[in-house]
Amino acid sequence: MLADFQQALADLTASPELCIAVRADASLLSSRYVLSEREARRLLEIARHPGMACACTVYRMNRLAPLAMNLRDTLRALGSALRPLISDYWRDHPQGHAHFFIESNRFCRWLRLRIEEGEIVPPDVLPLLERDAAAVRAAIAASCTETPLE
Amino acid sequence: MTHRPRVGLLYNPTTPELLEHAPTLVEHLSVMPDRLWFDFGQDAMHGRRFHRVHDAIDRVAGDAAGRTLAGHGLGLSLPSAMLLDEAMVAAVAAMSRDLGGFAWYSEHLNLFITPKGGVPNSQAGLGLPVIYDEEAFTLIADKLRALARSLGCRVLLENGSFFTPVPDLDISEPEFLNRLHREGLSGTLLDLHNLLVNARNGGADPVAYLESLDLNTVEEVHLAGGDDDEGFYMDSHSSLTPGVVWELAYAYLPRCQNLRAITFEYQESYFEDLGLPGLTAELERMHALAEACSRVEGGAHAS
Repeated sequence: MLADFQQALADLTASPELCIAVRADASLLSSRYVLSEREARRLLEIARHPGMACACTVYRMNRLAPLAMNLRDTLRALGSALRPLISDYWRDHPQGHAHFFIESNRFCRWLRLRIEEGEIVPPDVLPLLERDAAAVRAAIAASCTETPLE
Repeated sequence: MTHRPRVGLLYNPTTPELLEHAPTLVEHLSVMPDRLWFDFGQDAMHGRRFHRVHDAIDRVAGDAAGRTLAGHGLGLSLPSAMLLDEAMVAAVAAMSRDLGGFAWYSEHLNLFITPKGGVPNSQAGLGLPVIYDEEAFTLIADKLRALARSLGCRVLLENGSFFTPVPDLDISEPEFLNRLHREGLSGTLLDLHNLLVNARNGGADPVAYLESLDLNTVEEVHLAGGDDDEGFYMDSHSSLTPGVVWELAYAYLPRCQNLRAITFEYQESYFEDLGLPGLTAELERMHALAEACSRVEGGAHAS
């Protein structure tokens, strides 16, 4: 089924862990997606292709881009905590938003909630997050350039 | 009457400075509607999904005066097994009207959106590869018909770049593009640098690709440069067109009877590195290539 093939391809690109799991156990594909035998074979070959590592890296670079542009200080303050946190965020929000400020705002809200729930982050993260989040909210407001519909 | 393809640029925020420096060298602009609006998504505030960046649109309109202008989109993801994004098509059509009408409009032959997610594309240009078979043909053909109807202009599809080729295809990408053209559905935007990207990352040989492509399908060409990263070659638009791409251009473009524009793509964050002298020299080189592609209407080369 084409839709499932495409979704599986996107999921593999988004998750090096899934690629590794599929390489080890190809039956994972048919348990998660509705695929023809040929589609499953193609996906397995793609998951095993050396270019998949690069595709996964570029996926992460592209998803990180809006946050790096708009939340530079917060990300820098997170330091080594960033990598596991960002992976969790992408797991919770597999679809990035085309509007970079909305994507950044969503991450701010997600991170604040995680901190409120007890996530331990360096002490300077919270004030920087508040500052960056305020700037992002202002940018979202500024990007509303059309008059509201009645 | 002599026909010569125009020399152009893919518009970005640094383009006005380059146009000011070398106004007569740029005869064509391609503009990405996706970069001239904020897309608030389906759950948009106040029911308005697209909010236009009015000053940027005004700037493009001014810079396009006296030049041909084409639209170049990313967001429709035509190969996706989903319905055509009608709201975005309407926004592209409105943008075209705002800018005086696109001479043509192009989209990528890559997958950027899936039913439950997507693959974000930014400067590194990650799109996923497409299965070329009957199902994909029907899906894309239907969307191309609707798109051409809404925009009222010719639609082109660009060959994509990717890191993981799909194995065991029914037909190749050039054969797929040939068939779309044969059935009157689209022309080809041939990105010669993408051919190099794919070849460097384990995909098809560019010469074999170009030998399979009906060169009459080609209506626009993209030139660009990339860079190496951890053993892979990236379509980063970070450098001038590499020599091997120029060689392909001179070998094949003079045979493209319907070529309308040769367009250089660079990413604006590399503008300072590329420099005005470097970009000007690139445009001059493109003019020499365009001259080599000149022909007398009816088929003979002007030279």
